[in-house]
Amino acid sequence: MSKKSLLIIPEMCTGCRACQVACKSWNQLPAEKTSMKGDFSQPPDLSGTTFNKVRFTEMPSEKDSFRWLFVSQRCMHCEEAGCMKICPTPGALYRTKDGGVAANKEKCIGCHLCLAGCPFNVPRYGADGKLAKCSQCSDRTENGLPPACAKTCPPGAITFGDRDSMLARARKMGYEKVYGQNELGGLGVLFAFKDAPKVYGYDDKPSINEMVILWHKYLKPASWFGIGGVAIASALHYFAVGPHKADPPKQEGAPKKEAEEVKKDEA
Amino acid sequence: MKLNDFDMIRKETPLAILTHWALAVSCILLTISGFAFLYKLEVVAMFFGGFNVMKHIHNWMGVVFTISLAMTIPMWFRECIAFDEDDKKWIMVAGGYLSHKVAIPPMHKLNTGQKLAYLGVLGMGGGIIVSGFIIWLYPSSQTLMLLAHMLHNLCFIGIAIFIPVHVYLGAIANPGTMRIMIYGTVPVWWARKKSPKWIQEVEEGKATH
Repeated sequence: MSKKSLLIIPEMCTGCRACQVACKSWNQLPAEKTSMKGDFSQPPDLSGTTFNKVRFTEMPSEKDSFRWLFVSQRCMHCEEAGCMKICPTPGALYRTKDGGVAANKEKCIGCHLCLAGCPFNVPRYGADGKLAKCSQCSDRTENGLPPACAKTCPPGAITFGDRDSMLARARKMGYEKVYGQNELGGLGVLFAFKDAPKVYGYDDKPSINEMVILWHKYLKPASWFGIGGVAIASALHYFAVGPHKADPPKQEGAPKKEAEEVKKDEA
Repeated sequence: MKLNDFDMIRKETPLAILTHWALAVSCILLTISGFAFLYKLEVVAMFFGGFNVMKHIHNWMGVVFTISLAMTIPMWFRECIAFDEDDKKWIMVAGGYLSHKVAIPPMHKLNTGQKLAYLGVLGMGGGIIVSGFIIWLYPSSQTLMLLAHMLHNLCFIGIAIFIPVHVYLGAIANPGTMRIMIYGTVPVWWARKKSPKWIQEVEEGKATH
Protein backbone atom coordinates (compact mmCIF):
# COMPACT_ATOMS: atom_id res chain seq x y z
CA MET A 1 0.00 0.00 0.00
CA SER A 2 1.45 3.29 -0.98
CA LYS A 3 0.25 6.09 1.17
CA LYS A 4 -1.13 9.08 -0.64
CA SER A 5 -1.29 12.52 0.87
CA LEU A 6 -2.85 15.88 0.57
CA LEU A 7 -0.33 18.71 0.32
CA ILE A 8 -1.56 22.01 1.72
CA ILE A 9 0.35 25.24 1.22
CA PRO A 10 -1.15 27.98 3.42
CA GLU A 11 0.79 30.72 1.61
CA MET A 12 -1.11 29.90 -1.56
CA CYS A 13 -4.51 29.77 0.13
CA THR A 14 -6.79 32.74 -0.48
CA GLY A 15 -9.25 31.81 2.24
CA CYS A 16 -12.13 31.38 -0.19
CA ARG A 17 -13.48 28.30 1.62
CA ALA A 18 -14.33 26.53 -1.62
CA CYS A 19 -12.82 23.37 -0.04
CA GLN A 20 -15.48 23.55 2.66
CA VAL A 21 -18.25 23.92 0.11
CA ALA A 22 -16.90 21.10 -2.06
CA CYS A 23 -16.57 18.82 0.98
CA LYS A 24 -20.16 19.47 2.03
CA SER A 25 -21.33 19.02 -1.52
CA TRP A 26 -19.57 15.71 -2.15
CA ASN A 27 -20.32 14.22 1.26
CA GLN A 28 -23.91 15.56 1.19
CA LEU A 29 -23.57 17.38 4.48
CA PRO A 30 -26.06 20.06 5.53
CA ALA A 31 -25.05 23.64 6.26
CA GLU A 32 -24.72 24.70 9.87
CA LYS A 33 -26.11 27.65 11.72
CA THR A 34 -23.00 29.43 12.94
CA SER A 35 -22.13 32.44 15.03
CA MET A 36 -19.36 35.02 14.94
CA LYS A 37 -16.72 34.06 17.47
CA GLY A 38 -14.18 36.81 16.92
CA ASP A 39 -12.46 35.54 13.79
CA PHE A 40 -13.44 34.65 10.27
CA SER A 41 -13.39 30.86 10.68
CA GLN A 42 -16.84 29.72 9.68
CA PRO A 43 -18.16 27.45 11.06
CA PRO A 44 -15.94 28.06 14.11
CA ASP A 45 -15.17 24.37 14.63
CA LEU A 46 -15.23 20.98 12.93
CA SER A 47 -18.42 19.06 13.58
CA GLY A 48 -20.36 15.95 12.62
CA THR A 49 -21.42 17.78 9.48
CA THR A 50 -18.25 19.83 8.86
CA PHE A 51 -15.26 17.67 7.95
CA ASN A 52 -12.90 20.49 7.00
CA LYS A 53 -12.63 24.17 7.61
CA VAL A 54 -10.26 27.04 6.99
CA ARG A 55 -8.79 28.58 10.12
CA PHE A 56 -8.21 32.33 9.89
CA THR A 57 -5.43 33.66 12.11
CA GLU A 58 -4.46 37.30 12.31
CA MET A 59 -0.77 37.92 13.05
CA PRO A 60 1.20 41.09 13.71
CA SER A 61 3.48 41.92 10.80
CA GLU A 62 6.42 44.31 10.33
CA LYS A 63 5.91 44.84 6.62
CA ASP A 64 2.15 45.19 6.44
CA SER A 65 -0.53 46.26 8.83
CA PHE A 66 -1.05 42.60 9.74
CA ARG A 67 -0.57 39.10 8.40
CA TRP A 68 -3.44 36.75 7.74
CA LEU A 69 -2.92 32.99 7.84
CA PHE A 70 -5.33 30.57 6.22
CA VAL A 71 -5.02 26.92 7.17
CA SER A 72 -7.34 24.33 5.69
CA GLN A 73 -7.87 21.84 8.53
CA ARG A 74 -9.19 18.29 8.51
CA CYS A 75 -8.28 14.82 9.79
CA MET A 76 -4.51 14.34 9.41
CA HIS A 77 -4.78 10.62 8.47
CA CYS A 78 -1.82 9.65 10.70
CA GLU A 79 0.15 6.51 9.97
CA GLU A 80 0.34 5.88 13.74
CA ALA A 81 -3.25 6.78 14.40
CA GLY A 82 -4.17 7.29 18.06
CA CYS A 83 -7.85 6.94 17.25
CA MET A 84 -7.32 3.52 15.69
CA LYS A 85 -5.20 2.40 18.65
CA ILE A 86 -7.80 3.30 21.22
CA CYS A 87 -10.98 2.34 19.30
CA PRO A 88 -12.57 -0.76 20.88
CA THR A 89 -14.54 -1.82 17.81
CA PRO A 90 -12.91 -3.60 14.87
CA GLY A 91 -13.77 -1.98 11.57
CA ALA A 92 -15.27 1.20 13.06
CA LEU A 93 -12.09 2.96 11.96
CA TYR A 94 -10.27 1.49 8.99
CA ARG A 95 -7.48 2.18 6.52
CA THR A 96 -8.49 3.25 3.05
CA LYS A 97 -6.56 1.93 0.05
CA ASP A 98 -4.54 5.15 0.03
CA GLY A 99 -3.57 4.87 3.68
CA GLY A 100 -6.16 7.30 4.99
CA VAL A 101 -8.27 6.77 8.12
CA ALA A 102 -12.01 6.43 7.55
CA ALA A 103 -14.97 5.75 9.83
CA ASN A 104 -17.76 3.21 9.40
CA LYS A 105 -20.97 4.48 10.98
CA GLU A 106 -22.51 1.01 11.04
CA LYS A 107 -19.75 -0.32 13.26
CA CYS A 108 -19.03 2.73 15.43
CA ILE A 109 -20.51 2.33 18.91
CA GLY A 110 -20.28 6.03 19.75
CA CYS A 111 -18.02 5.69 22.79
CA HIS A 112 -16.01 8.85 21.88
CA LEU A 113 -12.69 7.22 22.81
CA CYS A 114 -11.17 8.23 19.45
CA LEU A 115 -11.45 11.87 20.51
CA ALA A 116 -9.29 11.05 23.54
CA GLY A 117 -6.74 9.26 21.35
CA CYS A 118 -6.45 11.96 18.67
CA PRO A 119 -3.42 14.31 18.89
CA PHE A 120 -5.14 16.90 16.67
CA ASN A 121 -8.58 17.14 18.30
CA VAL A 122 -10.34 16.07 15.10
CA PRO A 123 -13.08 13.49 15.76
CA ARG A 124 -16.61 14.87 15.87
CA TYR A 125 -19.91 13.06 16.14
CA GLY A 126 -23.16 13.29 14.24
CA ALA A 127 -26.63 13.70 15.69
CA ASP A 128 -26.77 9.89 15.95
CA GLY A 129 -23.73 9.93 18.26
CA LYS A 130 -21.56 8.16 15.70
CA LEU A 131 -18.17 9.32 14.47
CA ALA A 132 -18.39 11.36 11.25
CA LYS A 133 -15.13 12.48 9.70
CA CYS A 134 -13.04 13.15 6.61
CA SER A 135 -12.18 9.93 4.77
CA GLN A 136 -9.82 11.67 2.34
CA CYS A 137 -12.79 11.14 -0.04
CA SER A 138 -11.88 7.46 -0.31
CA ASP A 139 -14.90 6.91 -2.55
CA ARG A 140 -13.37 9.35 -5.03
CA THR A 141 -9.69 8.45 -4.67
CA GLU A 142 -10.37 4.75 -5.13
CA ASN A 143 -11.75 5.67 -8.53
CA GLY A 144 -8.78 7.77 -9.48
CA LEU A 145 -10.29 11.14 -8.61
CA PRO A 146 -8.73 13.65 -6.21
CA PRO A 147 -10.56 14.45 -2.96
CA ALA A 148 -13.30 17.07 -3.36
CA CYS A 149 -11.33 19.77 -1.53
CA ALA A 150 -8.23 19.25 -3.69
CA LYS A 151 -10.26 19.07 -6.87
CA THR A 152 -11.96 22.38 -6.22
CA CYS A 153 -9.16 24.49 -4.68
CA PRO A 154 -8.90 27.47 -7.09
CA PRO A 155 -5.31 28.59 -6.31
CA GLY A 156 -4.04 25.01 -6.07
CA ALA A 157 -3.16 25.32 -2.41
CA ILE A 158 -4.52 21.79 -1.84
CA THR A 159 -3.22 18.99 -4.02
CA PHE A 160 -3.39 15.23 -3.70
CA GLY A 161 -1.14 12.41 -4.85
CA ASP A 162 1.68 10.04 -3.97
CA ARG A 163 3.58 11.19 -0.92
CA ASP A 164 6.88 11.31 -2.76
CA SER A 165 5.57 13.52 -5.55
CA MET A 166 3.85 15.76 -3.00
CA LEU A 167 7.08 16.11 -1.02
CA ALA A 168 8.98 16.80 -4.22
CA ARG A 169 6.46 19.48 -5.15
CA ALA A 170 6.87 21.22 -1.79
CA ARG A 171 10.66 21.05 -2.06
CA LYS A 172 10.56 22.45 -5.58
CA MET A 173 8.62 25.41 -4.23
CA GLY A 174 11.30 26.08 -1.66
CA TYR A 175 9.90 24.43 1.45
CA GLU A 176 12.74 22.47 3.07
CA LYS A 177 10.74 21.08 5.96
CA VAL A 178 7.30 19.64 5.36
CA TYR A 179 5.06 19.16 8.37
CA GLY A 180 3.82 15.60 8.39
CA GLN A 181 6.74 14.01 6.58
CA ASN A 182 7.86 12.11 9.68
CA GLU A 183 5.38 13.13 12.37
CA LEU A 184 3.46 10.16 13.80
CA GLY A 185 4.91 7.78 11.25
CA GLY A 186 3.98 10.11 8.41
CA LEU A 187 0.76 12.04 8.04
CA GLY A 188 -1.76 11.78 5.22
CA VAL A 189 -1.91 15.58 5.19
CA LEU A 190 1.35 17.41 4.50
CA PHE A 191 1.65 21.08 5.40
CA ALA A 192 4.24 23.31 3.74
CA PHE A 193 4.61 25.91 6.48
CA LYS A 194 6.68 29.04 6.03
CA ASP A 195 7.03 29.51 9.80
CA ALA A 196 7.11 27.18 12.79
CA PRO A 197 4.06 24.88 12.93
CA LYS A 198 3.03 26.56 16.21
CA VAL A 199 2.31 29.76 14.31
CA TYR A 200 -0.28 27.90 12.26
CA GLY A 201 -1.79 26.23 15.31
CA TYR A 202 -0.06 22.85 15.06
CA ASP A 203 2.20 21.18 17.65
CA ASP A 204 5.88 21.03 16.74
CA LYS A 205 5.96 17.43 17.83
CA PRO A 206 2.46 16.01 17.80
CA SER A 207 2.12 12.84 19.88
CA ILE A 208 -0.49 10.43 21.07
CA ASN A 209 -1.22 10.92 24.76
CA GLU A 210 1.20 8.96 26.98
CA MET A 211 -1.67 7.31 28.80
CA VAL A 212 -2.87 5.68 25.58
CA ILE A 213 0.64 4.41 24.82
CA LEU A 214 1.22 3.21 28.39
CA TRP A 215 -1.97 1.26 28.36
CA HIS A 216 -1.73 -0.30 24.93
CA LYS A 217 1.94 -1.13 24.99
CA TYR A 218 2.58 -2.13 28.57
CA LEU A 219 -0.54 -2.64 30.63
CA LYS A 220 -2.78 -4.43 28.15
CA PRO A 221 -0.71 -7.63 28.24
CA ALA A 222 -1.05 -7.56 32.03
CA SER A 223 -4.76 -8.30 31.81
CA TRP A 224 -4.02 -11.51 29.88
CA PHE A 225 -1.47 -12.35 32.53
CA GLY A 226 -4.27 -11.76 35.02
CA ILE A 227 -6.59 -14.42 33.72
CA GLY A 228 -4.02 -16.72 32.11
CA GLY A 229 -1.43 -16.56 34.88
CA VAL A 230 -3.96 -17.11 37.60
CA ALA A 231 -5.51 -20.05 35.76
CA ILE A 232 -2.08 -21.69 35.53
CA ALA A 233 -1.27 -20.85 39.16
CA SER A 234 -4.60 -22.33 40.27
CA ALA A 235 -4.00 -25.54 38.35
CA LEU A 236 -0.49 -25.81 39.84
CA HIS A 237 -1.88 -25.22 43.31
CA TYR A 238 -4.58 -27.84 42.84
CA PHE A 239 -2.14 -30.54 41.85
CA ALA A 240 0.84 -29.53 44.01
CA VAL A 241 -0.95 -28.63 47.26
CA GLY A 242 -4.51 -29.74 46.70
CA PRO A 243 -7.82 -28.50 48.04
CA HIS A 244 -8.63 -27.80 51.66
CA LYS A 245 -10.71 -30.86 52.34
CA ALA A 246 -12.94 -30.78 55.37
CA ASP A 247 -14.10 -34.22 56.45
CA PRO A 248 -17.05 -34.62 58.78
CA PRO A 249 -16.10 -35.77 62.25
CA LYS A 250 -16.54 -39.45 63.01
CA GLN A 251 -18.80 -39.49 66.04
CA GLU A 252 -20.99 -42.14 67.53
CA GLY A 253 -21.97 -43.56 64.14
CA ALA A 254 -23.00 -40.22 62.78
CA PRO A 255 -24.87 -41.05 59.61
CA LYS A 256 -24.25 -38.81 56.65
CA LYS A 257 -27.94 -38.82 55.89
CA GLU A 258 -28.75 -36.83 58.98
CA ALA A 259 -27.23 -33.70 57.53
CA GLU A 260 -29.35 -34.08 54.43
CA GLU A 261 -32.48 -34.46 56.48
CA VAL A 262 -31.83 -31.38 58.54
CA LYS A 263 -31.37 -29.47 55.34
CA LYS A 264 -34.72 -30.66 54.08
CA ASP A 265 -36.36 -29.66 57.34
CA GLU A 266 -35.01 -26.19 57.02
CA ALA A 267 -36.29 -25.87 53.52
CA MET B 1 -26.14 -23.81 73.96
CA LYS B 2 -24.10 -26.42 72.21
CA LEU B 3 -24.89 -26.85 68.53
CA ASN B 4 -25.22 -30.32 67.09
CA ASP B 5 -22.39 -31.01 64.66
CA PHE B 6 -24.75 -32.45 62.07
CA ASP B 7 -27.27 -29.64 62.10
CA MET B 8 -27.22 -26.98 59.46
CA ILE B 9 -26.45 -23.41 60.36
CA ARG B 10 -27.35 -20.42 58.22
CA LYS B 11 -24.27 -18.50 57.11
CA GLU B 12 -25.78 -16.13 54.55
CA THR B 13 -29.27 -14.71 54.17
CA PRO B 14 -31.28 -15.27 50.98
CA LEU B 15 -30.84 -11.58 50.13
CA ALA B 16 -27.08 -11.94 50.43
CA ILE B 17 -27.15 -14.99 48.15
CA LEU B 18 -29.23 -13.12 45.56
CA THR B 19 -26.92 -10.09 45.75
CA HIS B 20 -23.87 -12.27 45.31
CA TRP B 21 -25.40 -13.93 42.23
CA ALA B 22 -26.26 -10.55 40.73
CA LEU B 23 -22.70 -9.42 41.41
CA ALA B 24 -21.22 -12.61 39.98
CA VAL B 25 -23.29 -12.70 36.79
CA SER B 26 -22.86 -8.99 36.04
CA CYS B 27 -19.15 -9.12 36.83
CA ILE B 28 -18.52 -12.11 34.56
CA LEU B 29 -20.52 -10.61 31.68
CA LEU B 30 -18.70 -7.30 32.18
CA THR B 31 -15.32 -9.03 32.20
CA ILE B 32 -16.04 -11.02 29.06
CA SER B 33 -17.42 -8.05 27.13
CA GLY B 34 -14.61 -5.89 28.51
CA PHE B 35 -12.05 -8.32 27.13
CA ALA B 36 -13.87 -8.29 23.80
CA PHE B 37 -13.67 -4.47 23.68
CA LEU B 38 -10.05 -4.47 24.73
CA TYR B 39 -8.82 -6.98 22.18
CA LYS B 40 -11.50 -6.41 19.52
CA LEU B 41 -12.67 -10.03 19.78
CA GLU B 42 -15.34 -10.31 17.10
CA VAL B 43 -16.21 -13.92 17.95
CA VAL B 44 -17.03 -12.95 21.54
CA ALA B 45 -18.95 -9.86 20.43
CA MET B 46 -21.00 -12.10 18.13
CA PHE B 47 -22.45 -13.89 21.16
CA PHE B 48 -23.60 -10.55 22.56
CA GLY B 49 -25.17 -9.56 19.23
CA GLY B 50 -22.36 -7.38 17.88
CA PHE B 51 -20.36 -4.51 19.31
CA ASN B 52 -23.25 -2.04 19.33
CA VAL B 53 -25.48 -4.30 21.41
CA MET B 54 -22.54 -5.37 23.55
CA LYS B 55 -21.91 -1.73 24.48
CA HIS B 56 -25.44 -1.44 25.88
CA ILE B 57 -25.17 -4.76 27.69
CA HIS B 58 -21.83 -3.67 29.15
CA ASN B 59 -23.26 -0.32 30.30
CA TRP B 60 -26.41 -1.72 31.87
CA MET B 61 -24.62 -4.67 33.45
CA GLY B 62 -22.47 -1.96 35.00
CA VAL B 63 -25.64 -0.60 36.61
CA VAL B 64 -26.52 -4.06 37.96
CA PHE B 65 -22.95 -4.39 39.26
CA THR B 66 -23.13 -0.96 40.91
CA ILE B 67 -26.42 -1.68 42.67
CA SER B 68 -25.39 -5.13 43.85
CA LEU B 69 -21.99 -3.92 45.05
CA ALA B 70 -23.67 -1.09 46.96
CA MET B 71 -26.01 -3.64 48.54
CA THR B 72 -23.08 -5.66 49.88
CA ILE B 73 -21.80 -2.73 51.93
CA PRO B 74 -24.35 -3.01 54.77
CA MET B 75 -24.03 -6.81 54.57
CA TRP B 76 -20.30 -7.36 54.77
CA PHE B 77 -18.35 -4.14 55.16
CA ARG B 78 -18.32 -3.93 58.95
CA GLU B 79 -17.19 -7.50 59.27
CA CYS B 80 -14.49 -7.06 56.65
CA ILE B 81 -12.71 -4.17 58.34
CA ALA B 82 -12.39 -5.99 61.67
CA PHE B 83 -8.87 -7.42 61.88
CA ASP B 84 -7.15 -8.88 64.93
CA GLU B 85 -4.03 -10.86 65.90
CA ASP B 86 -5.35 -14.05 64.33
CA ASP B 87 -5.64 -12.27 61.01
CA LYS B 88 -1.95 -11.42 61.19
CA LYS B 89 -1.11 -15.05 61.90
CA TRP B 90 -3.38 -16.12 59.05
CA ILE B 91 -1.37 -13.99 56.65
CA MET B 92 1.90 -15.37 58.06
CA VAL B 93 0.83 -18.93 57.18
CA ALA B 94 -0.77 -17.76 53.89
CA GLY B 95 -4.09 -19.10 55.05
CA GLY B 96 -2.72 -22.62 54.89
CA TYR B 97 -3.07 -22.59 51.12
CA LEU B 98 0.57 -23.36 50.49
CA SER B 99 0.78 -26.35 52.80
CA HIS B 100 -1.72 -28.47 54.63
CA LYS B 101 0.67 -29.04 57.51
CA VAL B 102 0.55 -25.58 59.08
CA ALA B 103 -1.90 -24.76 61.81
CA ILE B 104 -4.46 -22.19 60.67
CA PRO B 105 -5.43 -19.69 63.37
CA PRO B 106 -9.12 -19.68 64.34
CA MET B 107 -11.24 -17.46 62.11
CA HIS B 108 -14.50 -15.64 62.54
CA LYS B 109 -17.35 -15.95 60.06
CA LEU B 110 -15.06 -14.81 57.24
CA ASN B 111 -11.37 -15.59 57.05
CA THR B 112 -8.67 -12.98 56.47
CA GLY B 113 -8.39 -13.78 52.78
CA GLN B 114 -12.12 -13.36 52.29
CA LYS B 115 -12.08 -10.03 54.11
CA LEU B 116 -9.16 -8.71 52.07
CA ALA B 117 -10.76 -9.99 48.88
CA TYR B 118 -13.97 -8.16 49.70
CA LEU B 119 -12.11 -4.92 50.40
CA GLY B 120 -10.20 -5.39 47.17
CA VAL B 121 -13.36 -5.89 45.16
CA LEU B 122 -14.94 -2.91 46.85
CA GLY B 123 -11.93 -0.71 46.06
CA MET B 124 -11.38 -1.85 42.49
CA GLY B 125 -15.12 -2.12 41.89
CA GLY B 126 -15.53 1.43 43.17
CA GLY B 127 -12.81 2.65 40.81
CA ILE B 128 -14.21 0.80 37.84
CA ILE B 129 -17.75 2.02 38.58
CA VAL B 130 -16.79 5.69 38.89
CA SER B 131 -14.60 5.63 35.78
CA GLY B 132 -17.18 3.59 33.88
CA PHE B 133 -19.91 6.13 34.48
CA ILE B 134 -17.57 8.95 33.44
CA ILE B 135 -16.77 7.15 30.17
CA TRP B 136 -20.47 6.54 29.62
CA LEU B 137 -21.87 9.92 30.58
CA TYR B 138 -19.08 12.48 29.99
CA PRO B 139 -17.49 11.45 26.70
CA SER B 140 -16.79 14.96 25.44
CA SER B 141 -13.99 15.85 27.85
CA GLN B 142 -10.73 14.44 26.51
CA THR B 143 -8.81 14.73 29.78
CA LEU B 144 -11.56 13.25 31.89
CA MET B 145 -12.02 10.48 29.35
CA LEU B 146 -8.32 9.57 29.31
CA LEU B 147 -8.03 9.55 33.10
CA ALA B 148 -11.22 7.54 33.48
CA HIS B 149 -10.12 5.13 30.78
CA MET B 150 -6.80 4.62 32.55
CA LEU B 151 -8.47 4.02 35.91
CA HIS B 152 -11.01 1.69 34.30
CA ASN B 153 -8.22 -0.35 32.76
CA LEU B 154 -6.07 -0.49 35.90
CA CYS B 155 -9.02 -1.68 37.97
CA PHE B 156 -9.85 -4.13 35.21
CA ILE B 157 -6.44 -5.76 35.52
CA GLY B 158 -6.99 -6.11 39.25
CA ILE B 159 -10.41 -7.66 38.77
CA ALA B 160 -9.16 -9.92 35.97
CA ILE B 161 -6.64 -11.31 38.44
CA PHE B 162 -9.05 -11.46 41.34
CA ILE B 163 -11.98 -13.20 39.66
CA PRO B 164 -10.24 -16.45 38.69
CA VAL B 165 -8.56 -16.63 42.11
CA HIS B 166 -11.88 -16.13 43.84
CA VAL B 167 -13.69 -18.66 41.65
CA TYR B 168 -10.91 -21.21 42.11
CA LEU B 169 -10.73 -20.82 45.88
CA GLY B 170 -14.49 -20.66 46.26
CA ALA B 171 -15.56 -23.43 43.94
CA ILE B 172 -12.65 -25.84 43.68
CA ALA B 173 -10.02 -25.41 46.38
CA ASN B 174 -12.42 -25.42 49.34
CA PRO B 175 -14.97 -28.23 48.95
CA GLY B 176 -18.16 -27.35 50.78
CA THR B 177 -18.20 -23.63 50.01
CA MET B 178 -20.29 -23.75 46.84
CA ARG B 179 -23.38 -24.73 48.80
CA ILE B 180 -23.30 -21.40 50.64
CA MET B 181 -23.98 -19.71 47.33
CA ILE B 182 -26.98 -21.99 46.76
CA TYR B 183 -28.53 -22.71 50.15
CA GLY B 184 -26.75 -20.25 52.42
CA THR B 185 -26.37 -22.97 55.04
CA VAL B 186 -23.43 -25.11 56.10
CA PRO B 187 -23.09 -28.10 58.45
CA VAL B 188 -22.10 -27.07 61.94
CA TRP B 189 -19.06 -29.37 61.94
CA TRP B 190 -17.84 -27.66 58.78
CA ALA B 191 -18.36 -24.19 60.21
CA ARG B 192 -16.64 -25.28 63.42
CA LYS B 193 -13.59 -26.13 61.36
CA LYS B 194 -13.60 -23.04 59.11
CA SER B 195 -15.10 -20.40 61.41
CA PRO B 196 -14.52 -21.59 65.00
CA LYS B 197 -14.82 -18.12 66.54
CA TRP B 198 -18.19 -17.55 64.95
CA ILE B 199 -19.61 -20.89 66.12
CA GLN B 200 -18.24 -20.19 69.59
CA GLU B 201 -20.04 -16.87 69.68
CA VAL B 202 -23.24 -18.42 68.42
CA GLU B 203 -23.02 -21.06 71.13
CA GLU B 204 -22.36 -18.43 73.75
CA GLY B 205 -25.37 -16.54 72.47
CA LYS B 206 -23.28 -13.49 71.47
CA ALA B 207 -23.85 -13.77 67.75
CA THR B 208 -26.90 -14.63 65.78
CA HIS B 209 -26.75 -16.77 62.73
